[in-house]
Amino acid sequence: MITTPDLIESLVADAEPVTRLRPPLARAALWLLFAAAIVALLAASHGLRPDLGARLGQSPFVTGIAASMLTGILAAVAAFMLSLPDRSRLWLLLPAPALAVWVSTIGYGCLTGWVEVGADGIRLGDVIDCFATLVLISAPLSLAILVMLRYTALLEPARVAVMGGLAVSAIAATALSLFHSFDATIMALMWNLGIAAVFVGLAGVFGKKVFSWVAPR
Amino acid sequence: MSKNSSERGPGLSVVDGNGHVAAGAHSVSAGAETRVTHEIDWTIFMARAQGGDRDAYRRLLESVAPYLRSLAVRSFHGRADIEDAVQDVLLTLHTIRHTYDPARPFGPWLTAIANRRIVDCMRRHGRSRARETSLEAEHETFAAPGANLQEQASDGRVLREAVDELPPGQRDAIRLMKLGGLSLKEAAAASGMSVAALKVATHRALKNLRKILRIQDKGT
Repeated sequence: MITTPDLIESLVADAEPVTRLRPPLARAALWLLFAAAIVALLAASHGLRPDLGARLGQSPFVTGIAASMLTGILAAVAAFMLSLPDRSRLWLLLPAPALAVWVSTIGYGCLTGWVEVGADGIRLGDVIDCFATLVLISAPLSLAILVMLRYTALLEPARVAVMGGLAVSAIAATALSLFHSFDATIMALMWNLGIAAVFVGLAGVFGKKVFSWVAPR
Repeated sequence: MSKNSSERGPGLSVVDGNGHVAAGAHSVSAGAETRVTHEIDWTIFMARAQGGDRDAYRRLLESVAPYLRSLAVRSFHGRADIEDAVQDVLLTLHTIRHTYDPARPFGPWLTAIANRRIVDCMRRHGRSRARETSLEAEHETFAAPGANLQEQASDGRVLREAVDELPPGQRDAIRLMKLGGLSLKEAAAASGMSVAALKVATHRALKNLRKILRIQDKGT
């Protein structure tokens, strides 16, 4: 085993100048801007849902979409804050109020969705289309936040991954409610938090190797 | 992992390298002052280190190492384990040094990293302890003969027996020069043989020894 003074010497020899991270709020804003660009791109290619104008007049829909968007923004801020070692863990609570409102509208959305679609349930085609859009939005956002927060792998990946997963889910669900009639909140949450859980679980089992392809060395 | 700030406080004072041990009514304020001074030093060193100042970085790492050791001592007992944890924290500090913001105090940043890495080290130790048994000297080492160094004792015996089988002149030459470690001149004086005769005897003795040992090897 190398001795500590020797290690210090080798670290000193390797001490190249580094570029400091920008403030967490600025980095969160950058990621949200990227998310907005992805959603705008999809809106341009996919088109918005036909009944969007009418739905925007209904307050439950507006409340839901505003709450999910706010959850996404706050969860992103919380993720970037929590990724720094010296920030308070209380940042975990930042998206909680917006999340509570968002979750309370899910039940309503599912209920009305069920009644509108009828006893046959939702047709398979819609769900697959919806899922494809969900993956199309979530994948680049997850990848971007994973790369931006990669150094957290050495610290506390679980909290940051949960917040990041929540941010991606909320943004994806907001976007989906603009594109599809089907309320995809549950699907978006399950998919993105599921992916976050898989990453954290793998990190727990295999250690840093899971993040080694993006982690700083 | 929930290390509160009261746990961090006393730890930071460990790095007091100036020998300022204040007593009585002044101790609290003097301790706090020392801590503040160290924190400011660390913050300045780290900010310079981020800019590539190697001297500042060396001073920073050398002055935080005892503090990290004092944190690791609370969780580990073995000296190697403690150093392992300290080195892990130093490596992490090095890897993510770009995440430090010089506008904020260095102490909490370092302590948060240290606590996290120490917890990870403890988990790793726990896992390896559950799977592995430490290798004790009395355990059989490995199946390969090269790993069982105690066998060398019998190798020595075999060699000595082989030397005994040599003709007297060659035996003396080998004993004096190769086993006894004498120089050619010293061996010549001790045995009464000439230097040239000793050289020849040694050469022949080595040749014969090779032959004898090879025959024994094939025999076993």
